[in-house]
Order: sequence, then structure tokens, then C-alpha cells
Amino acid sequence: MARDVLALDSAGRRWSLLAAAVCLLPLLLQLPMPLPVAIAVAGAIASLMASRGATPGWLRALLALAVFGLILAQGGMHFGRDTGCALLAGMLAIKPSELRSVRDARSLLGFALFAPFATFLLDQGPLSLALGLAGALLVLAALARLSEQESALPAASVRHVARIGTVAKLVAIGLPLALAAFWLFPRLATPLWGIPEMSTARPGLSNEMSPGDWLDLIADDAPAMRVSFRGPEPTTRQMYWRGPTLTDYDGRSWTASRWLRDLPPAPVEHGAPTWEYEITLEPTERNLLVALEMPLDLPQGMRGAHEYTLTSDRRLDRITRWSLRSAPAVRFEADLSEPMRRLALRLPPDFNPRTRALARQWRAETVDDGAIVDRALAWIRGEFAYTLDTPLPGRHAVDEFLFEYKAGFCEHFSSAFTVLMREAGIPARVVTGYTGGTRNAYGNYWIVRRMDAHAWSEVWLEGRGWVRVDPTAAVAPERIYDTLDDRLGTGAAGAAGGLLPIADLGDWARQMWNDFMLGFDAERQQQMLQRFGFPDMDTGGLIGLFSLCAVLALGWMLWLVARSERERDPLLRAWHALGRRYARVGLARARHEPAHAWARRVLAANPHDTALLALTAGFTAARYAPAPSDPTLLRSLRAHRPARETDR
Amino acid sequence: MSMVAGLRRRVEGWARPRRPEVLPARLDRRRIYILPTRFGAFVAALLLTMAVGALNYNNNPALLLCLLLVGASLASLLWTQLQLSGLDVRAVHGEPVAAGVPMPLHVHVEAAPGRERRGLRVSIDDSEAPLSLHDAGGEATLVLPTFRRGWLSPPRLRISTSRPLGMARAWSWVWPQARFLVYPAPETGGPPLPDGGGDAAQARLNPAGEDLHHLRDWRAGDAPRTIAWKASARRDALVVREFERPQGDDLTLDWQRLGALDHESKIRRLARWVDEAERNALRYRLQLPGQPAIGPDRGAVHRHACLRALALLPEAG
Repeated sequence: MARDVLALDSAGRRWSLLAAAVCLLPLLLQLPMPLPVAIAVAGAIASLMASRGATPGWLRALLALAVFGLILAQGGMHFGRDTGCALLAGMLAIKPSELRSVRDARSLLGFALFAPFATFLLDQGPLSLALGLAGALLVLAALARLSEQESALPAASVRHVARIGTVAKLVAIGLPLALAAFWLFPRLATPLWGIPEMSTARPGLSNEMSPGDWLDLIADDAPAMRVSFRGPEPTTRQMYWRGPTLTDYDGRSWTASRWLRDLPPAPVEHGAPTWEYEITLEPTERNLLVALEMPLDLPQGMRGAHEYTLTSDRRLDRITRWSLRSAPAVRFEADLSEPMRRLALRLPPDFNPRTRALARQWRAETVDDGAIVDRALAWIRGEFAYTLDTPLPGRHAVDEFLFEYKAGFCEHFSSAFTVLMREAGIPARVVTGYTGGTRNAYGNYWIVRRMDAHAWSEVWLEGRGWVRVDPTAAVAPERIYDTLDDRLGTGAAGAAGGLLPIADLGDWARQMWNDFMLGFDAERQQQMLQRFGFPDMDTGGLIGLFSLCAVLALGWMLWLVARSERERDPLLRAWHALGRRYARVGLARARHEPAHAWARRVLAANPHDTALLALTAGFTAARYAPAPSDPTLLRSLRAHRPARETDR
Repeated sequence: MSMVAGLRRRVEGWARPRRPEVLPARLDRRRIYILPTRFGAFVAALLLTMAVGALNYNNNPALLLCLLLVGASLASLLWTQLQLSGLDVRAVHGEPVAAGVPMPLHVHVEAAPGRERRGLRVSIDDSEAPLSLHDAGGEATLVLPTFRRGWLSPPRLRISTSRPLGMARAWSWVWPQARFLVYPAPETGGPPLPDGGGDAAQARLNPAGEDLHHLRDWRAGDAPRTIAWKASARRDALVVREFERPQGDDLTLDWQRLGALDHESKIRRLARWVDEAERNALRYRLQLPGQPAIGPDRGAVHRHACLRALALLPEAG
């Protein structure tokens, strides 16, 4: 096709490069540091080379090799989702080096659309969304420019604003259809294929905990989940969001027991009250879940291990939503079997001799487990302090913490307390999860941040089963239950306190966005349909409803498109509207008739219609006038109606 | 390739209009066809890939972006179609040219004001011209190849556009019921204009002539060789001979006098003579078999009448 190899003009080149750059930007922002700069530089070189004329093939190949080599080296030769996205970014950056024809530009733009798509696999934050949307709009605008060139319209004949306006109009016209498809199109309840893993993971709750490795997590104030309660709400002190339970200890790290993973959940006797709530969980790239202690029943897709370590059947790569009921436990595994007991008492030999000596001493003084727990808590409350500034642990980490530093954060407290209990012969384990949360004033929900991550202990007491003991809370309750104080620091409540409502409002908007956009899935779709009075709609019914809405949306599109392409000049538009009004009373202006002759003919037909002649003179003058004309003319033209027959 | 071309021709044969129509012709949805361009098919495949990926990962921002693009693309399809819808092809006019010379074909279109229609294309076979409407009217000039004298019926015109995004091309056929005159191609080379056989009253005096007309008094500037010495001696004053030549405007281009040329060659020669006579600003008369003589006269109208008569002469045999 001769038209396809039409050489690209400079306006088309500028638009294409701009659109590709804006599409690439959000993706670059998601990549680890040296890569974005390298890719941006490669993109700049490629664009410059293309604008200077033909690029030699070897130079292109060299550039491509350099970029891809750097990306693979950065990923440590491990190919993950982020590596794939970086490769895409690299290819997109080098693509402009062959940008000569309209066809090249179109393939560049089509390719550029994949960049926002890849970005959303990595991040779904507002900035990524805004940039992705802007990139897509610019791609459409660039396509409009290419089409103009193809239609032999010079670049100067269409203003940039008008071009953007056309594209915005097209998107707005297509919006109802897009939204109908988004909300009504049948969703896949299970994916056809899995999403590739990241080559580097973000810190978060996991099946393992070593002292000190949560520092990044505790400094991260990004939301971990949002929770809305139906009915009664627990107090912040009751808000222990149970995550992985860690039973095995090797002297340094706590890990979840493989033995317990496949056993059925232990029996729990629940007390009152019962809390009903829904968790909107941010993606974690893992399949670990949390629930308020202790969950009554597990929803579909959620599994509980023996010690109530909750997992999802699928990895949480996107926002998920879980409806749960919980109630405080009265008795949790009141009958501890012998293997379980041994598991909960096991300690590596030759670690922490001083702790062992202390525990043996306490045990010798009393046989009451509860008394030992209280004594340990009293000791901790009296002599320990909370700090994030901790030294690296040595071989006897618990000894060092208990007898030397006497300061640390939840990891240290729970770990040391659990070891102490085990040395004293009390079955104990570490539970990780989140505590507390902040209530959003606008949205009636609680937000739990990643910095709310917490570790506490559980000890098994005769007759009561597993009982939660939080040694950190004994030292610094305010650091645990109340994220707010943490964020505001001490005292400086003035400025930050004033900003709080705005931050709350922002998070509330985010929550709504999560609800209807990010977290929308097959289950949510059913809920929405139920609310509109379509319970139990199957796929066929959904397709029917979708088709109906799609047809309505298409009709709406047709009407809007037919209407929106109207005359730009308001004066001319008013003049044409005036002409139509006269056509309705049978005094249409003939095609060949000059405006003035028509006005005179109208006057002859209806002598009362004197104003038209003056208006016509004004209109003619305005059309030929070099300077802007009388501003009242437009209003008069719009207001004027043909004089009625009854006026005679 | 020929099979594809054949198939294409057959499909085009089904398109409306299937026979020539009287202008003005209004383009409406029944005769506007729209198909995605190759780029449009590429975009469709790309968006489908995105949609499947986004649905699979249940990645809602990606899905939403993809659906927005689908919506915009569909809207652009409608937009493309509406660029043509309501267009009025008012007239098609071809300027007469000699056979073998491309004929300029003017296509005049109008549309109700209110919708911007720019960057349309009008095409016939290989010839293509841009068409933009300003103030509800516009004109495109195509070139139509000509091969033989006589009436030329224009083929179907194609009015198309791929704006605003180039993802689909809408087109419509217009088949004007009209015929345009193609003059005979003038011969190249050949004998000069014949001498006129006109009457002497129209003759003009010319010193280069052969027949002596009369004598007159010498005036400054007369060439010495025109002086009639004998007569001057008799009259005692210089007199000059004046000659006349019957080369007059009243040139007759007569079919019968062309001799033993074949039919088409005679027509081509006469066509050349008409042009040449017109160029020399001569008055001429064209005498064709079986019809009254045309002229004598000169000027564009006369030339057109003569060439038209020549163009429309029946074929030999």
C-alpha cells in the first residue's frame, strides 16, 4: 500500500514521540533505580538518531544489546514480572530509532499502549493511573495527527487543542460502553494462567521472622488493608489481626511449622460479641491472609492451618476482598496433644544460657504457669523500653536482648518472651499480624497500614488453651494500638492535625476507587447485581444484561457523535439555527440566495419582521469584518424568532 | 493475486449504486460502507490481547484502560461513517479534452452545515484528490484518463475517509449518469492548412499574392520591388502594384477533399486543422459528410462545435 509508507512529517513525529514518552514514564517510575535513567537515555538517543535520518543497523543493535544486557544483569539473571516489564520498557525506548513512515509511527504507538498495561501489573496507584490515562489519550491524539497527514491536511490546519478535544470527545462518547462492559461483562472467577512472579519481593508478613528484618515494613505507611464492620466494632485493643503463626525456632529465626500446615484448624470455643466485617486487602504478592482473632468460619478460597495461619488459594496479586465473622476465643485448642505440646516447647540446644537459667529459676519457685507469665510481663514492663534502633543480634540473641539492651520492638519482645516461656516449660509460639488501625471519618471504615505489622506471643495454659500475651503492649501500648500517634509524632499536632481530614478524605476516595474499580471482581459483580435487584444472575443472564446496556450505550454514542461534530464558529451556528427557524415557517433561505436578498424576501412576506433585516446586515458585516464584531449580535441572533402571522 | 483482485471486483460489484444515477446523489447509511483498515485490525488484535490479559489477571486498571480505548475506537468508527453521511454530490463535470489527454473531472459536493467534514478523498482508479468542505460546500478535481473520441461515461467515483483515527475507512460509491465529450486526438505532423476555396469578396490584399488587383500611389515604406515602373513612367508618379491572395478566414476544411486517408486519420487531420486555424485566428468552416457545414466562424464556441461534430462522427464501416 502506497499510503502506508507515507513519510512521517515533523508534527506526526513530535506527537508520536511525546505519546510514547508519556506512556513509558509510569513504567520507568516502577523500575529499580539505574534502569529508568539508562532506558530514558537510550530512548533519547534513539529519538535523536531517528530525527537525523536513517539509523545504521549496527548502532541500533548495539543500543538494544546494551539496554537488554543491563536489564538482565539488574534482575540477577532471574526472569520475573518486573524483568519482563523492564524489557518492554527497553524495547519501547529503542523503537523510535526506526521512525520514518506513518506506518512506523503507528506500530510505535500500538506498542506504546502496552507500557501502561505493564505498569498496572506492577502498581495500581493513582499516579500510575493518571499517567497511563494521559499516555493513552496522547496516543489517540497522535493517531489523529497521523490520520490527518494521511488525509492530506497540513498540521497547521488543526489546532493542538482541537485535536485533544476531538480525542477527549471520542473517549467521553465511548465511556458508557466502556463502563457497561467493565461492570457487566462476565468476569473470570479463576484465571486461565497465572501471573508471573516478581524477581524481587516487597517486605511484608511472611512465614519467617528474624529480629530486625521488619524495620522496612514498620517504616512503610502504605495501607495494608481496609476494614469495614457491619454492626458492632471491636476496640483498638481488641484489634489483633492474626497472620502467620510461627512455631519453629532455630536460635535466630522463627518459621511456620510445616507439620501444622495441612492439619485441620484446631477447635475454638468462641465468646461474645461477634464481629462481622469485610477486609479489602492490598496486593501482597504472597498468599498469606489475616483475620481478626478468632475467625468463626472461613470464606471460600481461604484456608486455615492448624494454628489458624490463614492462606488464600491464590497469590494476592491484586486487591482482594474477604467477608468474615470473628469472635474472641474463650478456649482455643484446650486439649493440646502430646506432639503439639512438644512442637511448642522445642528449642535449639546451646542457645541463650542465661535465659534458660532464669527460666529454670522461676520454674523452681512456682508450678503455676500463669504466675510465670505474669512475672515475666511484670519484669518486661518494669525494665524494658521500646525502640526501633537496635543492634544486630549475636549468637545468643535472646540473652542479649533480655539482659543487655533491654530495648527493642515487637519482634524482639515476642521472640524473647516466647523463648523464655518455652525454657520454663510453657508451650508458647509467636503470632504475627497487624494490630490496631485508624478509623476513617468519611468512609466508616478502618485502615490498617503496613507499619501496623506486629508480633506477639501465645502461651498455652491448662484449661484455657492458647492465650494471647503481648509483651510489647506491656511496654508501649501507644506504639501498638494507635497508628495515629505514631504518624503525628509527639506534640506537633497542630499542622499535621489540620491536614488529617484531607488525608482522610483522600484515603476515602481511594477506598471508593478500590471498591468499584480496583477490587471489582466476579464476587463483587454478583453483589452489585443483587443490590440492583438481580439475585443469582448466571453468565447467560449477565451477557443478556450486558448486551442490552451495550446497545443502549451504542445508541447513545451514535446520538452524541452525530450531534457533537457541529459548526465551530458560534456566530455561524447561531445563523444556521436562525435559518432553520425560518425554514420551519416556510421561509427557508434558498441555496443561491444572498443573505440580504433573503431578509428582504422575508420582510416582503411578513412586514412585521423588521428586525431580521438589521440582524442580517450585522451578520454580514461580522462575517466580513477583520476585527471582532459586536458581542451583542450573537445574543440577538440566538434570541430572534420569526414574527408570527398573528402579528399582522 | 488475480483471484483476490477478481474477488474484490465481484464484491465491489455488489456495492450500491449498481447502475448510474442522476445527480444530486445523497450519501446515506445504506450506501456507506465501512471496514477497518489494516492498522485498525492491528489495534483490534492489540486491544483483544490486552482485554484477555486484564481479565485473566483481574487487573482492573488495565481492563478499564483497554475498555476506554475500545469505546474511543468504536466512537471513531461512527465518527468516520458520519463524515460521509449526509454528503450531497451535486454535480460532476468533465472538461472536454483530446483523446489521450487526462480529463480534469470536477466533483462538486455540498452538505448541511453543522458537521465538520475535512480530509475526505475522492478517487477513481489511480486518481485521487483531497476534498474538504468549507461553508458547507467543496470541490475536488480528479483526472480521468481518456483513450478514444466520443462520449465518455465516468466510472463509479469513490468518496472515502479514514479520519479521525485511521482505524477504519468509510467509503461510498457515486456513479453519476453523465457523459463527457472527448475530442479526437489531433494528428502529429501532416500537411499544413489547405488554401481556402472561398469567394474573392472575402479575400485580403497581400503583396505576396499572385493575381494583380490594382495599382495605387506609392506611399513611404512600400518595397521597391512592388513599384510598377512602366506604369509609373506613364503617369509621372510612382505607383505600386497591389496583389491579392484568397487565404481568407473563410478557410474550408472539407472532408471530401482529404483524399485517400482512412476514416480515423481524416478525423484526426481535421481536428488538427481546426486547432491550427484557431491558433492562427482564422475563420474556418468545417464540412463533414452527411451534415450541414459548420461555420464559417471562429472562437472557442465554434471550435467546440467543430471538434464535437468530429468527435461524434460514427466509426468507420
